[in-house]
Amino acid sequence: MQRREFLGFACACCAAGWGSIARAQSESAAAPGSVADWKVPAKFTRPDIATDEGGLWALMDREETRMRRSPFLIRDQALRDYVQSVACRLGAEHCPDIRVYVMHTPMFNASMAPNGMMQVWSGLLLRVENEAQLAAVLGHEIGHYLERHSIEKLRDAKSRLAFGQMLGLLGLVGAVGQLAMLAGLLGYSRDQERAADRIGLQLMHRAGYDTGEAVKIWDNLLVELKARPDGDPAKNSPLFASHPPAEERRETLARLAAQYPGGVSNEQALLDVIQPMRFDWIVDEIKRSQADESMALFTRMLAHKAQQPDVLFARGETQRLRAKGGDMEAAVSDYLAAAAAGGEPPETHRGLGMIYRSRGQAADEKASFARYLEMAPGAPDAAMIKSYVEELNG
Amino acid sequence: MNTPIGGQRGAWGKTAASGSSRRWRQLRLAATAAFLVAVLAGCVTAVKVESGQHAVGQRLVFNLEGPWNQIKLPNAGLAEIWTMEGLPVDQLLVYSGLKDGEDLNAATAAGPMQGQKRSFTFKSGMQPEQIVQLFEGMFTRDGSTFALTKLEPASFGGSHGFRFEYGLTRKVDNVQLSGLGFVAVDKGELFAIVYLAPRLTFFPRHVARVQQMAGSAIIRHGSS
Repeated sequence: MQRREFLGFACACCAAGWGSIARAQSESAAAPGSVADWKVPAKFTRPDIATDEGGLWALMDREETRMRRSPFLIRDQALRDYVQSVACRLGAEHCPDIRVYVMHTPMFNASMAPNGMMQVWSGLLLRVENEAQLAAVLGHEIGHYLERHSIEKLRDAKSRLAFGQMLGLLGLVGAVGQLAMLAGLLGYSRDQERAADRIGLQLMHRAGYDTGEAVKIWDNLLVELKARPDGDPAKNSPLFASHPPAEERRETLARLAAQYPGGVSNEQALLDVIQPMRFDWIVDEIKRSQADESMALFTRMLAHKAQQPDVLFARGETQRLRAKGGDMEAAVSDYLAAAAAGGEPPETHRGLGMIYRSRGQAADEKASFARYLEMAPGAPDAAMIKSYVEELNG
Repeated sequence: MNTPIGGQRGAWGKTAASGSSRRWRQLRLAATAAFLVAVLAGCVTAVKVESGQHAVGQRLVFNLEGPWNQIKLPNAGLAEIWTMEGLPVDQLLVYSGLKDGEDLNAATAAGPMQGQKRSFTFKSGMQPEQIVQLFEGMFTRDGSTFALTKLEPASFGGSHGFRFEYGLTRKVDNVQLSGLGFVAVDKGELFAIVYLAPRLTFFPRHVARVQQMAGSAIIRHGSS
């Protein structure tokens, strides 16, 4: 295998991550099986560098070095320790080999490489409602790791590559062969996803988590994706791009979870540790400019707990920036609710001021901007806002 | 010696390659490879922009105290793309008379343009923060992160406008960049120059030139 193809494979495996669970085929179409039969494998030893597996580990080691230096790595020690502890609780005897990196990326994803490097994106941490939901995602990724699925994929890719090269001798047909091969590199197989689901739930149960929370993640993701303007997530999202239908998959997870009743969710533990970063992640979500998905997320968060001034601000801001239909009225309502709840971000008042400015409500604009400047005198746009107030003062 | 797209050694001092780190050599190697492919395909040209008075479009005129390179790319959008060091090291986007409903989107040093579905449509009634958000969206379409560090009123081209400063962490290579923009909306049309370069060395090296250029800008009113 050429080095470039090898690297492409490795990256594809990493990028597949949690998102690729959607590719798993319906458990109803296959025997659900009992996860009780599955045993955690013994700790892995480092493969010889001369082997394909050793080469893959070496590539991932290099990627891990890059990740350690990345400005996107979140270096909050309490958060890192916390997520690592959840992974360790799930991985048990494999804990010393699992190294978690929390990355500043506003999308929902996690992934794990065969050398034990795990990435968790901030967009995932914003979206999970409790520790058990986080454990569900990490458990799924650890399931891939324990089953060494990426090595299986590597060997599958090698055989496809050899086949593709043979087809390459045949011109156009060869090109088709190469495409088919590349398609095969994108993510794990359905069987592998199915296995990771089962193992993840077993790890959750063994660690004392409520496995029912795994189903809720699926529900929550579906709500966001269905809110997109392009509608059906099964057709338009790579996360749900292949069958089975999302609802069917949800039922499968629920059926598996029912085998493991009980467990804890640890909501407060998660909220406490993400609190220092949460507003930044909320702002990241707004900046994604996917207003419909963000609205679904923030509305869900508010349905879970109503009096959250940062989320009320976020929903108001999202609507103000989307500016469709009755968005401005709704934005004002959310901003005012955030202010009434207390502890609102200063930007709440900037948002209100901007809307009042666009409506020519000078007194309200002036009061809102004054409040913003009072709360955030060193804001990057303070000079601009002051100029608006000075305009009003004549 | 590898040269970034548009970087012309010797015309106006040192370019990115001098004293460069391994990362920069790699970056320039990648840029050179992309450049060679594009040149061989006949789809990229680099033109020297001489010192002195220079008009962009029909209404925006600068008095340049030193030369720049202009990069002409296919499907690059409505902005002119200038550079001192060569792409993707540093980049100056120049907009001259972007009309209501037109797209701000441009090929940028922050990330790829092609394959992106998002549009960044300018509306003549936009507030400064909304215009900055358009640039932010364009620069972060590849997952890079943008942080506004200053937004303040400023004259540009003789019109009442604003200037903004920002930082950008580029996703593709983790390089930290700094940026500076000057914007004015005149008769409903957008005029702007927005600069972006690595925070260390290149931004400090060229920011004064960008400020001089902004200070020399004149938006003509007669021909519109």
